[in-house]
Amino acid sequence: MKSFIAKVVTEPLQGLFQKAAEYLPTVLTGLVVFLLGLLLAWVVKLFVVRIIRLLKLEGAFLRSGVTDALQKMAVKDTPAKLIGRMFYWLVVVIFFILSLSVMKIPVIDELLGRFLLYLPNIFVALVIMAIGVFLGNFLGRAALIASVNAGIRLSGLLSKGARTVILLFAAVMALEQLGIARSTVVATFTIVFGGIVLALALAFGLGGRGLAAEFLEKRFKKEGTGPGEDKEDELQHL
Amino acid sequence: MADHHITLSGEVRARIAELGSVDILVGIPSFNSARTIGHVVRAVEAGLSKYFPGSRSLLVNSDGGSTDGTMDVVRQSGADFDSILLSPQDGRFHKLVTPYSGIPGKGSAFRAVFEIARELGVKACAVVDSDLRSITPEWMELLVKPALEEGYDYVSPYYLRHKYDGTITNSIVYPLTRALYGKRIRQPIGGDFGFSGRLASFYLGKDVWETDVARFGIDIWMTTTAVANGFKVCQAFLGAKIHDAKDPGADLSAMLHQVVSSVVGLMEEYPGVWRDVAGSEPVPTYGFAYSVGLEPIHVNLDKMLEKYRMGVTDLAVLYQSFLPPDLLAFLKSLADEPRDRFVFPDKEWVRTIFRFALACRRKVMSREHIIKSLTPLYLGKVASFVIETWDSTAEDVEQRLEELCLAFEREKPYLVERWERKARASVKPRRST
Repeated sequence: MKSFIAKVVTEPLQGLFQKAAEYLPTVLTGLVVFLLGLLLAWVVKLFVVRIIRLLKLEGAFLRSGVTDALQKMAVKDTPAKLIGRMFYWLVVVIFFILSLSVMKIPVIDELLGRFLLYLPNIFVALVIMAIGVFLGNFLGRAALIASVNAGIRLSGLLSKGARTVILLFAAVMALEQLGIARSTVVATFTIVFGGIVLALALAFGLGGRGLAAEFLEKRFKKEGTGPGEDKEDELQHL
Repeated sequence: MADHHITLSGEVRARIAELGSVDILVGIPSFNSARTIGHVVRAVEAGLSKYFPGSRSLLVNSDGGSTDGTMDVVRQSGADFDSILLSPQDGRFHKLVTPYSGIPGKGSAFRAVFEIARELGVKACAVVDSDLRSITPEWMELLVKPALEEGYDYVSPYYLRHKYDGTITNSIVYPLTRALYGKRIRQPIGGDFGFSGRLASFYLGKDVWETDVARFGIDIWMTTTAVANGFKVCQAFLGAKIHDAKDPGADLSAMLHQVVSSVVGLMEEYPGVWRDVAGSEPVPTYGFAYSVGLEPIHVNLDKMLEKYRMGVTDLAVLYQSFLPPDLLAFLKSLADEPRDRFVFPDKEWVRTIFRFALACRRKVMSREHIIKSLTPLYLGKVASFVIETWDSTAEDVEQRLEELCLAFEREKPYLVERWERKARASVKPRRST
């Protein structure tokens, strides 16, 4: 009976304890590395936020509409804090993988290698999105002002359309960079964008024939404008 | 002071070497002005011959690449001395026709004129627009003589214009520059100026030739630079200003942007000059004042009001980032008023302009976007002004503009205390007189 207990319970437990004892220092090292990573991530976050404030980039974010865009997306953080937070999680993830690597598990080593190779794609995708948000807001605003000054009634729609197209374009480029459903995304974008352009062409072509004719008539037959018609100003503004 | 040369062509340099030195230089910037420039050239030649017979003078046509033969017209045009009972100057009047280099615009054309003036060591200069129909030989005397003989450095034009002509000047540029710098220069962006050779060299030393100054902004820049740097300034009464429409299709918001952007840029350059100025003083005015009949101007009020209403509604999302809530609420309430009750009060207009200047200063968004978004509000103010003064005489309108100017002067502390909050303690307004 004794030998049975020793074989079934004691020996496996001894083996387990022995393996645990052998492995424990590695786990502890991994844990220390991860805790150090947490500390470093916190320092990096503070440093990044401080640098952004020192360079007065918050004003640039405000002007470029990034702050506004974040608020619209219900993001409560300022862009500086958001970037700080991104760096924080980047360092945490890197140190998490490093801590697993210290434990010398082959699968983790492979994962780490792949992640490090993939990291530049994430960075480029983020840059593309940031440029997209900036350009989208800038050109959307420019379209709004220009269309209002030209007396176009659907100026809000035009502005939002311009902004959305640019953001969509940036999102597609970012997804393509990340390699996510590459062919599907590109095909979808092409179909949607082409569809919009075709729809607009048909709408203007069929619905705006009268308007186009009126415009051309006014443009080339100014002499015939009668006294009761919509005459242009003769104001010299300067 | 930094000196910024442009490269005059070898041909021009050879001509300069041939001329040696001249006393008076008159510059005419041009671009496709073949229809009108001949009259301007004849008036300039006749004026110089009549009023400065003993002086060596040079007419410089600084052209922006005309394709309608403008430069040929300048070369071929000459005063008909028999009809004006004068004798031509004996070898004292010269012409130089040259295309300018740099950003296309009046400023770049003037830069070439300044450069030639400096190379020739001229005593007095004048510049006149190429599309003028009302220029007479007397303009030369009035623009050049104060600089040549009376010790003035800058001669600003004083025209008679239709009551609804020059609306950017009347509603923004004149009252604002008058309130800022304390000088009552009625046409700060008039386009035709006289100045000393000393001031031409000073202008040339400024690094502005790649900015909006090189385009429409040159006029206000010349006036403000002269005033802010303490040059002696006067006005010359030139009578009526009748000229071809600049470009009927020109974008109003682009014009507004270039002019107002230049004004704000100058405010940023000279805060120490304008911050402490309170009130304003008249500047000496030369010339025999008289009144003239002016052609009526058609104004499409409904269109202006429609653009104002559309702008206030659609651009509110931008305005709320730099206009205070009470002002924005007022602008919105005004949009609901019918035409006969549409009144844009001076105080609200002045504060609107100041808020736009402050928004540019604080860079709340691109300067171009800020200023171009002013267009509907400007049209609202012009519409209000037209409604209010529909039956008024030119004198009454001038009086009404005086009230607007005084409103700008009264409200100036509102701008000063917000311009540079840190400098608030040092702001002690004083009278300019």
